Amino acid sequence: MSEKYETHVKSILSECPDADPEEVAAAFEKYETEFFIPPQDAMRSILRRFKGDKTPTPSSGSSGGSSAAPRNTRKVSSLSELKGDDKDIEIEVEIISHNIRDQTIRGEQKQIAFGLLEDNPWEENGQKNRWEYKDWGPNSNITPGSVVRIEGASVNEYQGKMSLNINQSTRIAVVREGTRPITAPGEPQDIDSLPSDGYVCVVGRILASRPDQIHRKDGSGSIDIVRGRLADESGTIGFLSWEPLEHEVGTLLKIEGAQVRTFRDTPELNFGRTTKIEIYHDKNFSDADTLSQQTVLTLSELRDGARDVDAVVQITEWTKRSFTRDGEERFLWSGQIADPTGRCRMSAWSELPITEDKLPITVRLKGVRVRAWQGIPDITVDNADQVEFLDAPPWDSDLDLTTHTAEVELFELSTGASRVGVSTSATVVSVREDSGFIQRCTECRRVLRDGACAEHGPNDGNADIRLRLAIDDGRSSVSLLTNKQATLSLLGMTESELQDTVNDLGQVAFVQSLRGKMLGRTIKASGRTIVDEQGAMMLADGAAMVDEDAGLRATEIRAQWKVA
Amino acid sequence: MQSGTRAKRQSAWHMLASEFSEATLNEKGSGEYDPSFVITKLGAKVNRVVVAGLLERLEVRETSNGSTLYQGQMRDPSGLHYFSVGDYASESMRELTMSLVEKTEVGEPVLLLMVAKSRWYQTDEGAVYTSLRPEEACEIDAQRYALWLTRACEDTLQRMKNYSDSLAAEPTREGLVAAGIPEHMIDGLLVSRNHYGDIDVETYTLNVMQALDIAEGRMDAASQPVAAPSQTELPGDAAPSGAESNDDEVKDTLVSIIEQLDQGDGVDFETVLTNAVARGFDRGLAEEKLDELSNEGTLHEPRFGWFRIVG
Repeated sequence: MSEKYETHVKSILSECPDADPEEVAAAFEKYETEFFIPPQDAMRSILRRFKGDKTPTPSSGSSGGSSAAPRNTRKVSSLSELKGDDKDIEIEVEIISHNIRDQTIRGEQKQIAFGLLEDNPWEENGQKNRWEYKDWGPNSNITPGSVVRIEGASVNEYQGKMSLNINQSTRIAVVREGTRPITAPGEPQDIDSLPSDGYVCVVGRILASRPDQIHRKDGSGSIDIVRGRLADESGTIGFLSWEPLEHEVGTLLKIEGAQVRTFRDTPELNFGRTTKIEIYHDKNFSDADTLSQQTVLTLSELRDGARDVDAVVQITEWTKRSFTRDGEERFLWSGQIADPTGRCRMSAWSELPITEDKLPITVRLKGVRVRAWQGIPDITVDNADQVEFLDAPPWDSDLDLTTHTAEVELFELSTGASRVGVSTSATVVSVREDSGFIQRCTECRRVLRDGACAEHGPNDGNADIRLRLAIDDGRSSVSLLTNKQATLSLLGMTESELQDTVNDLGQVAFVQSLRGKMLGRTIKASGRTIVDEQGAMMLADGAAMVDEDAGLRATEIRAQWKVA
Repeated sequence: MQSGTRAKRQSAWHMLASEFSEATLNEKGSGEYDPSFVITKLGAKVNRVVVAGLLERLEVRETSNGSTLYQGQMRDPSGLHYFSVGDYASESMRELTMSLVEKTEVGEPVLLLMVAKSRWYQTDEGAVYTSLRPEEACEIDAQRYALWLTRACEDTLQRMKNYSDSLAAEPTREGLVAAGIPEHMIDGLLVSRNHYGDIDVETYTLNVMQALDIAEGRMDAASQPVAAPSQTELPGDAAPSGAESNDDEVKDTLVSIIEQLDQGDGVDFETVLTNAVARGFDRGLAEEKLDELSNEGTLHEPRFGWFRIVG
């Protein structure tokens, strides 16, 4: 045996004098060559092996058990219940205002926050008291307009005036997120950073404006409204005015007290009786042509509910369908469209001069709207004049968009809109226990749980195969579902081979075997994504594990990061 | 807009054991279902990790309430991870754990890869320990271990760069954004800098270099002849403390603690000891050595119970 492990072997022998030096050296070699564990790291494992069970178990106690002393917090519902020397109190309040200032405390620059809070936050018109507060934390989750539960604050009385001290040890639990505008009224905000609800002030140019009508659901008539789009240099937003709005396209307006409402996934400004709209003068503000460039979207940027969208797309399939409404035959045209960032559907309510032999054909769409069906965006064309035919696509015309998939980073997919025709690579961080054979509801294709559908109750179901994984790039996590064909090709099995494997191993061991194959490895998957408030999901029709060479990667990393 | 009842799944960090086990800062949101995080010196805000290494120990413990708890430790080139698998774990995780107990009992080497949640707790003395709760795990071969090492190294290097970039920036969200720090690092870097003060990233560089040697199959370069098993180890909840540490190590640690924490007035007795305990030293021993350092003249006490380094 080589002398390579001499010092390590000696060290083991000093603890286990009866051990065979050859055997110990062989163990070191095995750890090193088969498991890439250098001798100094294998020491303990080898020592344990040669000592047998004689290793004393450590005496330190098991974990758990919080060390925090029990608190004697006094819970009050109104500020009026408090006295000047009360400590460690708990109360729910609404934060009225919140300001931050720098203060020097014991020679150290520190930020503290102060403002007004109000008790009795839940009763609409009840008796309310306002106090000042100081937050020495300062806690990042105190925001104006939010309702918080303050646990462990103390009362401060100075010259008869009471205020609340929030300390570093005070717990702040946000009970309701802020709904009031955070910026002072009259302070314009950038359009791309508007909140998803609440009242705001914006300065923007009108890019589109047209009268419209909303029909009352009960059939008692209709309301005249104005719809349009407003832009500043940061972005654009659709608006809906319930009051007459006669400003022309191109006019620069200051709008105070507009309400942001989110319709489907798209925020929209609402102007009502209390909204103040006036012409604004700013020579440096971009003109309408410059601003309208921003409304040109790629398919990857389409969001459900968007209006006044401009886009350049290729129509790859186009069909005419008929249906009957109110006893009258009507027509709808629809098909597949694509651009280099992905694919989606398009529908038109009026006939476009498209014939089968002209496909694929490139068009510029103007002022169209977007609906989504099961997560797939669908562009709606209401009038034929919204479509302009182009001679050639503005991208490489050799690109076959019917088969093209756009390679997109996982982080971008998880934060963007739902997309079709994309692929991504990421690490497998979970193989769910319900991967493999499943039963789907015969009505809605939902996966049956214990033989029953959440919607349609017990049924026999149709057998299907899928994997349910979580994939991760260190910044975002996406749920990945592979369909039957992708699953079988990923596992390199036929359906009956898979059935045999699951029968042999049982479901738990089968899933564990998948983890053995996939966990921590990179997978490349292609298909479509659905992104909503609950996160992102990818439905894959293709998936493969990526083979990587560790030695090569290590050398690349050394070069890239200049580590010798 | 982090409201809503169902939180999004937290992403997983590839991380070497040294970075995770040295963390002493945590964060827990105010809501019942808010995720908790361990925040490392390099500013990673860790709720979930992908880690791998040699399974060095795995033992069953009966807890006081009669449930079963498996406690284990897993070694990578930089140090140790402590983990536990309890009755709360999934059936598949428990089955795997039981099969691994058998293997470690007969001394069969096991390379393990796990996706795990970060755990954090503090003893009454103020010592902070991190540990892991594996969600899913599997045995891997040396090639996959090597591949994991490269990924952990790359991500560690990236974090080290973000960390050093952040030092030059204004310590505010806006400042870090302007310095080009990626969004997922910003919150962690803001609080880690506050908590840890100036840190020495040199050990991480050494860890990375050694791990890359292994990944490249250059085992000779990664091997160290000196056989002192306890030296590189950071004791966690299952490791005996004090007994194996030599005196100089305690003293060096005490001096570095005082160096790091001294804002000009010295560092108080309790803080010094709490930090020493958090790094795995016996409190009594640390107290004794603190005395010695004072007597030797390495430290002085400008005020009673406050320590500074002489010079």
